[in-house]
Formats: sequence, structure tokens, C-alpha cells
Amino acid sequence: MKLKSINQILGYETIVENSKNDFFSNAYTSDLLSDVMGNAPADSVLITIQAHKNTIAVATLAEIRAIILCNGRTAPDDMIEAAAGENISIYRTDDNQYEASWKIKGLLDGE
Amino acid sequence: MILKCDLHIHSCLSPCGSLEMSPSEIVKTALEKGLDVIAVADHNTALNSPAIEKLCRGTALTPLFAIEATSSEEFHSLCLFPTAERAVSFGQMLYENLVSLPNNPEKFGDQVYVDENDNILGELEKYLTGGAVSFSSDRLLELVHREGGLFIPAHIDRAAFSLTSQLGFIPPDPYDALEITNWPPPEGVGNLPLICDSDAHYPEDMGKRFFYLESPDKTAEAILLAIKQGRTRLSIAK
Repeated sequence: MKLKSINQILGYETIVENSKNDFFSNAYTSDLLSDVMGNAPADSVLITIQAHKNTIAVATLAEIRAIILCNGRTAPDDMIEAAAGENISIYRTDDNQYEASWKIKGLLDGE
Repeated sequence: MILKCDLHIHSCLSPCGSLEMSPSEIVKTALEKGLDVIAVADHNTALNSPAIEKLCRGTALTPLFAIEATSSEEFHSLCLFPTAERAVSFGQMLYENLVSLPNNPEKFGDQVYVDENDNILGELEKYLTGGAVSFSSDRLLELVHREGGLFIPAHIDRAAFSLTSQLGFIPPDPYDALEITNWPPPEGVGNLPLICDSDAHYPEDMGKRFFYLESPDKTAEAILLAIKQGRTRLSIAK
């Protein structure tokens, strides 16, 4: 699935969009970064409310392609900068994690 | 006596700490800045403590030995010990129980521990800031107390890796103190003692936040007790 579908189909706001790693094939929902490191599948989008640059470091290690920030949380500048440097996309939504997980599942199932 | 303290300083062992932050540079800078008491607090390890201990001998500096531990709830806490030996063995236990991935030094920074002459003794493999140890904070608090140390949740008013960011409130656990970075303190600190530190990653940031401590003498035991008794005056207090 193309990452840009998250914006084009679900209408989530694009904060950082990278064209380099622009596919995802899985998703993971968690707010504990150690849990993400241990359990998130590669090529995932991460559905979370942890809006800070450490999330990008963990995403890099876990080969996560994009972060979806839920509940309208905003990405601080240093997080946006880190994401751009690591070719990781960031999207933002007012949906909560439950709703976002459902919608992402729908996207992946619809492929 | 009144002591000027900065108990949260990162060395070159933390991936986020500058390579300039060798123990000798930290001790030299601390003396230049007029600090009386320092503690190096690297993430989930204390392997630079022995070098700090040696370098402080014969100087006006009193070292305490800290670790910035990441509990399973993923908030950071300072575990503060009176001796390097206790900090090192506690750090060893934390590192063994750290759930993390291998560090990528090019991306995240080196994790090297050194001797008192800045010779590199080794490098830690697990990424020290990305994971968490498999103990809850209340279990860590118990273990720290058993070793005669203090357990102080770090930068509790920050948006990441803090008591308030992870739990959303300050639980009624028997913390020895709380570390804050801004004034006024967040709601719910109650009567717990407060401290503030630099959280320096570069030499120039050391001592940019500090606190004064009223202590009967400069022994580690007296200093730890004075912190517990809340005899602190914060540089950030208005």
C-alpha cells in the first residue's frame, strides 16, 4: 500500500512525506517504544500518540515507514527534522488510535 | 554548608551525550563552573563512574553516582548511589535487563566508556535510550533503596519519557524527590523534595540548571540524606 493513501484516502494530514520508502505492508499500534522495538513488523506504519523525536529513532531501528499521530497531537520541529533525515513519513489525525487502527486495517485489507 | 549540585550530566557513554563529555572533561568543567557536587547519569549504565570517582579524588568536587534508568513504563528516573561500585553493579543489572536493539553509532551516537585518561575501555552494544528495562518503576525503587540509593523520577514536567507523559499523574509512591526543569512545578508534587539539574549533553550546558543543598558536610551519605529531607533551593525557582 502506498503511504500517500493515508492522506489521499483517509484524509489524514501529511506532516512529512517521503517518496523514498513510500510503501507499507503492515501496521502496529503502541505507545511504548520498547514494545515497538520488540514487536512491530518491518514496513509498518506506527499508530501512536508519542509525538517526539525518540519515536523516529525507534522507527528507524524497527524499519517503520511512517508514524500516524492520533488525537490531534502535533509533531515538534525536532521530530519533523529527524523524520525527514531518516526518510520516515508522519501523518496526523484527530482520530483516536482505535479508529486509526481500524481505518489502516481497512486500507490494507482493501488492497 | 551550602553545596552547589548538578546531578544529571550525560557522559560520552550515553548515545545522546557528546564525545567531548569524557569523565576528565566533565570534572574539569564542573570545577570551572564552581559546582560542589556532581553526578554523571548515563542511560541504564554506570560504566563511566569509576573514572569519575578517580578524577574527583583530591579535588574540591564531591561525586555521587547516578544512572538514568528507563523503567518498563518508559519514564526516566535518576537512581543515585553513594559509591561508584554500587552504581556500576546496579547499572550492570539494568543493562542485562534492558530490552532494546543494537545501537547504530553513526545514526545515534557512540556509547563508549573510558578510563580516567580518556582511553576507551569498551563500547556498549544495546541502544541505551531506545528501550526499557523489564522492571516497573516501583520495583526499581525498591531495588535502589535496598542498595542505599535514592530514586528520583527525572524531568517530570517534560513531554517525553517523564512520569507525567507516561502515566499522566504522579502516583503516591515513596519517591525520594522529583526532578523538574521549569517553574512552577506541575500539579501533584505534594510535599516531595524537588531538585533541578542541567541534563547536560555538552560541556557548556553543565550547571545551566542546578540546586543549592544545605548539608552538614560533604560526605555522600549526608548529601543523600539532605536531598531526602528537601533541604534544596532550585536555580529555576522564582
